[in-house]
Amino acid sequence: MSAPAQVAERGTPRRGGGYAKPRKAGGGNFELISWFFMRLSGLLLIFLALYHLVWWNLIVGVAHLDSQVVIERWNNPFWRLFNVALVTFAMLHGLNGARYSIEDYVRRPGRQVAVKAVVYTLVLGSLLVAVFALLTFDPAVLVNR
Amino acid sequence: MANVRHTSLGTALRYRGREGMWTWILHRATGLGILLFLIIHVIDTAIIIYWPGEYDVALGIYKHPVFRFAELLIFFSVLYHAVNGLRIVIQDFWPYVMQRQRQLVWATAVIVVLAMLPVTWIMLAPIFGLAQEPGTARSEVRCSEARNAHAPACVNPEGEVAL
Ligand code: HEM
Repeated sequence: MSAPAQVAERGTPRRGGGYAKPRKAGGGNFELISWFFMRLSGLLLIFLALYHLVWWNLIVGVAHLDSQVVIERWNNPFWRLFNVALVTFAMLHGLNGARYSIEDYVRRPGRQVAVKAVVYTLVLGSLLVAVFALLTFDPAVLVNR
Repeated sequence: MANVRHTSLGTALRYRGREGMWTWILHRATGLGILLFLIIHVIDTAIIIYWPGEYDVALGIYKHPVFRFAELLIFFSVLYHAVNGLRIVIQDFWPYVMQRQRQLVWATAVIVVLAMLPVTWIMLAPIFGLAQEPGTARSEVRCSEARNAHAPACVNPEGEVAL
């Protein structure tokens, strides 16, 4: 079956996953930028996300976690900035991936807009919550509580 | 709109043909799964700012054996998505290796399975009493320091909430 115009603009889907590099179309180069962004943020996330998982699951251990461990970690601004990078790249990478899926499966224009509105709000809303939490965290207040 | 196509989910899932199909479906499923988990995870982490006491209750859920399996599933999802994503990027930027796509798919599977063997043991063996929890030595050092005497994980090492 041939791909609809919408998908062709996005770059042809390839066997085995991914999309061929989109050609610059008349309507601007948003798809080309997303294509590069997915590859760049994906490469960064390999290190950010796997480090996070190995640290908490294999080195610290979920059984030994508590609020103090996390507060101590967050006392160091480096780890808060690390998390800002992790959550920002992960959410935007995930959001664009979700957009690909929605455009593939929800073909009715009205419904597609509605589904996108809900998903974009959820993802961008929780990204805001996370960045707000990380940047407004005040160790002095919590440690003495 | 005249051009709208009504594609069933089954057709949409099949449209990419054989070998690539399963790697692609799994890439999409793990990607969407991680995104869903991340939204929940950001909320549970933000609790620490406003209600640090409740944060320890939320962590208790993560310590429950059922959730330990879920955490392993998340680990697998991120690992597979990372390694398979790397394969896609390599194929995109270095088209020559497209001729070796089947071998690369096998390499992806082998890397993921080999890495998951020790990870599965480390994460699941403790809940069956077959091994110590990972990080036990670190935790003993931490809990022996006076300033951590009242840390929740030191006072109540089990810490899981009943479901
Ligand atoms: C089951 C596996 C996981 C465990 C046990 C875990 C554990 C934790 C812990 C203890 C924290 C608070 C301390 C810190 O900020 O480092 C945290 C925060 C965070 N985790 Fe995870 N994590 C897991 C999986 C993931 C995954 C797969 C991602 C991303 C794809 C992720 C992204 C984040 C982010 C962005 C934060 C900061 C959130 C915020 O500030 O609201 N985590 N995680």
